[in-house]
Amino acid sequence: MISSQLTGRRLWIAALVVPPIAFMCLFLVYPILSAFAYAFYEWHGLARGDFIWFDNFHRVLFEFPFSERTINAFKHNIFVFFALMVLQNGLGFILAYCLWRELWGARFHRIAVFLPVVLSTVIVGLLWKLFYHPLFGAVNATLRAVGLGSLAQPWLGQDSTALTAIVVANAWHMVGFPTLVFLAGMQRIPSEILDAVRMETESEWVKMSKIVWPLVAPSATVVFTLLFVGAFNWFELPFIMGGVDGSPHGATDVLGLYFYRTAFGSTSASAENFGPGSALAVLIFLFIAVVSSVITIRLRKREIQL
Amino acid sequence: MARLSLRGIKKRFKAVEVLHGIDLDVNDRELIVFVGPSGCGKSTLLRLIAGLDQITDGEFLLNDKRMNEVAPSRRGIAMVFQSYALYPHMNVYENMAFGARLMGLSKPEVEARIAEATRMLRLEALLERKPRELSGGQRQRVAIGRALVRKPQLLLLDEPLSNLDAALRSEVRLEIARLHREIGGTTIYVTHDQVEAMTLADRIVVMNGGRIEQFGSPRELYETPANTFVANFIGSPRMAMLGVEREGDRLIAPGIGAISLTRLPSAADREFLMGVRPDGMSISSDMQGEGFAAQVVYTEYLGDSAYVYVKMGEGAPVSIRCTPDTQYAPDMPVKIRVLPDKLHFFSSKTSQRLAV
Repeated sequence: MISSQLTGRRLWIAALVVPPIAFMCLFLVYPILSAFAYAFYEWHGLARGDFIWFDNFHRVLFEFPFSERTINAFKHNIFVFFALMVLQNGLGFILAYCLWRELWGARFHRIAVFLPVVLSTVIVGLLWKLFYHPLFGAVNATLRAVGLGSLAQPWLGQDSTALTAIVVANAWHMVGFPTLVFLAGMQRIPSEILDAVRMETESEWVKMSKIVWPLVAPSATVVFTLLFVGAFNWFELPFIMGGVDGSPHGATDVLGLYFYRTAFGSTSASAENFGPGSALAVLIFLFIAVVSSVITIRLRKREIQL
Repeated sequence: MARLSLRGIKKRFKAVEVLHGIDLDVNDRELIVFVGPSGCGKSTLLRLIAGLDQITDGEFLLNDKRMNEVAPSRRGIAMVFQSYALYPHMNVYENMAFGARLMGLSKPEVEARIAEATRMLRLEALLERKPRELSGGQRQRVAIGRALVRKPQLLLLDEPLSNLDAALRSEVRLEIARLHREIGGTTIYVTHDQVEAMTLADRIVVMNGGRIEQFGSPRELYETPANTFVANFIGSPRMAMLGVEREGDRLIAPGIGAISLTRLPSAADREFLMGVRPDGMSISSDMQGEGFAAQVVYTEYLGDSAYVYVKMGEGAPVSIRCTPDTQYAPDMPVKIRVLPDKLHFFSSKTSQRLAV
């Protein structure tokens, strides 16, 4: 009787576990492994040539013109990561703190802050492209209206501002996510701990930096890691707002775009370099996997059980 | 030095008024206990004193200075919370140092104060530990230590024993009494447990429904309760309450008997309530003479004494303290006699004490 129950239970577990695992293997593990394999071959269009060891990796990392573009794109990814860390996660933490302290209008803003997150990236990209339009975009119009017309400029059309402009659009789009995660973390803090701090200081800054911030460490781990992965996989928004070439002049080029151009060609250069493209994909994957594991392990250590 | 004065304190949460005008004066170095059933407003009152909630109406003075608008951290008050509320990411030392440093004390002063609190509370071996590595009793001591390091004029304790097991409770209770003497400040202690209140307090504030029912020493509360609520709340097992009628110098409890008394309440009421504690009655199986007829329900044997619960008429069972060697079987008819000087009388209309 017991054994038949056990087999029944096992059957159930198998029925529930096997389909997702099969799905993952087919659409996740297999493509990753094949990309690993492709990276070691020479490609003529989509026809596979000889096994060439690490030549593809050597080309994207050290040979002109690949290496220059790889490094350019990688630098941009690093900039995006740090800029979003400040703009998106930093602002998210402050917004969460304000919502949590129930400042005036908190109920309205709790929804307003999260609303853009549910918008599709394509819509956000097109919307902000309009906002940044040099002649009739909302940004320049606002600047002119408040008498700062001298600051109006083609935000997406010049090297110096294009990447930052896209970062700002991304922060506007996604700031609700870290806000929500931080807010959830703050709501887990027992109210008596807060009362205890209030007995010892009235400084909002001390409360925020010495008590709340350390106690939301688990939330910080989540948003930091996800931001890291997101920043180095960044593709949709620069693709829509800067184009596949990272216009202007590669000022918005990032690893995701560069990989896509290399592997599948672009409007300006139709050449497909499937081998170097695969090598890039593998490098990006390894970089993200290794660094995000290190980040997660290190951040986990500073988490405290409440 | 801390004299505390509450004048007509009211607290409303939106439309609900939870404190209806509290007046209270506390002297320096007193240990005051707020006691009452849950929801009576005692914790709310404590939070108003701490400054964690805003006073809706009335005035709170500490050493004659108005405190209503002063931030909690600037009132010179420290508080020990029911859940202890230690900072989970700081070790014991840091928990104590945090508040002291925020007061702007010099480093040697902070260290001296922590050393003193550590010695008083025997925390030497625990300084490096995080709160989650401590037992309930140890956390309690750290929470008290954190409060003491700030050298408060007024120490507030919110149900500090409720998260401890029974064995630790009496131990920590003694500890708190000792600390209060040693520090020599004013302490306010909130509890729902009347035994804690009786054993610790210099004076007790009995609260009910957002009002103070009585404020006095444990002896006053026990011997001259101001009304039926205090009479029932203080003392365990609770006081028996009988509805009686006066007829000359006789008191008649309808259906269960009558007694003659030389001293009766001076008030003119013909009907009132007579209260008597378990130690103010005697029980016997001898049915002759004056007294109240009753039936034994059950006996609680406590070793050095026993409580016999009896049913008198229609009311709830009444407990009587007696020597442990006499035995009363359930359903046995017995006679209850009262000691005249242990009787309490209350108006049946206002529930207030009637003077004899």
